[in-house]
Amino acid sequence: MKLVLLPMLAAAVLFAQSTEPAVGLPDQIPAPELNINSRYTVESISFVGQHHYRLSTAARDEMHRLIGAKLSTEALNRLARRIRGELRAAEVTFKLTRGGEANHVKVLLDVDNRKRNFDLSIPTFSYNSRQGWTGLAEAATTIGGNTFTAGAVSDGDTLAERYTGFKLRYDRLSLGTDRIRLAFEFDSYHELYDRATLVALGTGQSSSLGAGAYRSRTNFEPSATFILAKPLTLTLGMSFEELAPQVSAARSESANTVVNTLRYHRSWESSDANNQELDAGYNLRAATTLLGSDLTYTRHLVNVRYKYRHQQQSVEVTLTAGMIYGNAPLFERFILGDSTTLRGWNKYDLDPLGGNRVVHSSVTYGYHIMRVFYDAGSVWDQGKSPEARHSTGIGISSGLGLFQKGAFLLAVAFPIRQGRADPVFIAGMNY
Amino acid sequence: MSVSNEELVPRRSGDYIRVIAPRLHFLTGKSLQRLHDGAIVPFDFQLGIAAGVKSNVVERAFERFTVSYDVWEEKFSVVRPRDFRKSASNLSANAAESWCLENLLARASTLGGRELWARLEIRSAEPKEPSSFLYADPGISITTLIGIFSRPPKPAQDHWAFESAAFRLADLKP
Repeated sequence: MKLVLLPMLAAAVLFAQSTEPAVGLPDQIPAPELNINSRYTVESISFVGQHHYRLSTAARDEMHRLIGAKLSTEALNRLARRIRGELRAAEVTFKLTRGGEANHVKVLLDVDNRKRNFDLSIPTFSYNSRQGWTGLAEAATTIGGNTFTAGAVSDGDTLAERYTGFKLRYDRLSLGTDRIRLAFEFDSYHELYDRATLVALGTGQSSSLGAGAYRSRTNFEPSATFILAKPLTLTLGMSFEELAPQVSAARSESANTVVNTLRYHRSWESSDANNQELDAGYNLRAATTLLGSDLTYTRHLVNVRYKYRHQQQSVEVTLTAGMIYGNAPLFERFILGDSTTLRGWNKYDLDPLGGNRVVHSSVTYGYHIMRVFYDAGSVWDQGKSPEARHSTGIGISSGLGLFQKGAFLLAVAFPIRQGRADPVFIAGMNY
Repeated sequence: MSVSNEELVPRRSGDYIRVIAPRLHFLTGKSLQRLHDGAIVPFDFQLGIAAGVKSNVVERAFERFTVSYDVWEEKFSVVRPRDFRKSASNLSANAAESWCLENLLARASTLGGRELWARLEIRSAEPKEPSSFLYADPGISITTLIGIFSRPPKPAQDHWAFESAAFRLADLKP
C-alpha cells in the first residue's frame, strides 16, 4: 500500500509546487553525447582476447565506419546489438582504452556466451520449386561446458531421399583443454522417395548401390574434434547406422563407418573493406566389417570454398569432388541438382539414385545484394562416362538480422541445355 | 546500504535545502568499473524532507546525473541530462560526487519552523537492456524518477540511503 501511495503523494507534491520543470529535451534539439569520451576518435575496434568471430559483411562494414570517427555511444550500442544477434550471444559489451595516438581510443568488444543457456534457431531453411521445402529447427541448452541440442528436420534437398525425423546431440565443449571436444549424436529418420527413384531402384539401374530402399534409418555417432592448429581441426568418430527395410519381414542392414574429417578455415581482413575467406575440408567415411557393418565401402569427399570481397563486390568459388569405392547405401551417394549445386537442374533427372563419383564447381559474383552464379558439374557411376552439366542463375542475397548466420537467398536458376528452359525458383536461409 | 544519521548534513541555499555527505562515495564497485571501462553510468537521486514526524514527507527532489570517465585525462564528468545546461568535467571522484549533491535541491519555503529530517537515496540506473551498458535516457522526466523510487531497487543496482539528524530550518548554515 505504501508503495502505491508514495508515487501518488510525490506526484501531487510536485504538481502543486512545480519546483523545476519536469521535461526532457525538446524533440528538435538533438541530445548531445553524455560520454566525455565522445570527443575522442575511434582508433580500432576488436574483440577481447583477440577472438575472431564470423560476422556478416554488414556488421564488418558498420565496424569499419565507426573506426576513424568520433566515438558515439549510440552507434556502439547499435553495433553491440547487431553482433549480439548475429552471434546469438547473451551479452555484448565494450570497453574503451587509450589509443596509440593522443585523443584516440580503442574499443574492445566483449562477447559473453556463457550466461545464455537456451537457444532456439533455424540453422537451415530452403525452398526449391521442384523439390519442395527443407528445414531444420534446433533447440539447444548449455550447462557449464556441456551443450544439449534437439532438432527436428525434414530434408528433401541434400540426398536422393527425403528424410524426416529428429536429432539429439550432446557436446562436451572442452576435455581438459579447449583443443579437444567430444560429441555424441543420435538421429532417427523416416524416408520418402521420389517416384523416379523407386522406378530406378526397381530396374536395378545402379550396380554399385549397397542397399535398396529403406523405410527408416537410425544413427548413433560419437566423435572427438581436435584443434590441431587455430584454423585446422580434425574430427575422428564412428557412425553406427541401421537401415530398416521397406518390408517388415526383411532383415535390417547396418552401415557402420569410421568417420574422419579434416577441416581448414581461415579468413583475412583488412581495414579497407577487403576480406578473403578460405574453407577447405576432407571427409572420409569407411564402412568395415570390423565394426559389424553389413555394407562395406569407402567414401571420400573434398570441398573447397574461397570468397573474396572488395567493398560492395564479391566473388565466391566452390569446388567439390567425391568418390565412393564399394557398395554404399542411398544416403551416402552423391547428388547434384539441389539448392546449392547445379541449381536449375532437377536431381531426379540427373540421376535419381545419385552416383558414386561427383565433381562440381560454382562461381558466384555479388554486387551489393545482387548475385549471379554459374554452376558446372557431373555425377556418375564408376565405369560410365561422366556428362558435364551447366546452369546459371540470378538472385538477391542479404542478411536477416537475428537469423543471419549466412544469409537468405532468392534466386531463379536455369539449366543450360538445348531445347526449352525451365526456370527453378530457389529461396533459402542460412545455407 | 545505509549509514548513520550524522553523515547527512543539511545546508540552506537561499529558498532551497541541499545536503552534504562527506563520507558518501557512490562512485565505487561495479559502477566505478563500468566508468573506468569508458561507459556512462546514470545515477538517480531522491532527497526527501519530512516534517513533524519522520514518515511525513512534505518535500521531495528528484534528479538523474550521468557520470562518465575520461580514459585519457582520468577524470570524471557529470551531466544533468534533463536539460544539459548543468554539467561539470575534469573532476576527481569526490568532486563529482559532491557536484551531484550541490545540484540536488529541495524547496524550503513551505517547511516553516517544524522539526525536520532529510533522507537521501541514490541508485545506479538500471540498464535498459543487457547488451547496452553505454545507455542513456536524455529525456528522463521527474515522473519517471518518481516511478523508479516507488519500486525497491533491483539486486543488480547499486543503491545507498542516508538520513540526517533532526534539524530546524532556522538553524541551518548556508
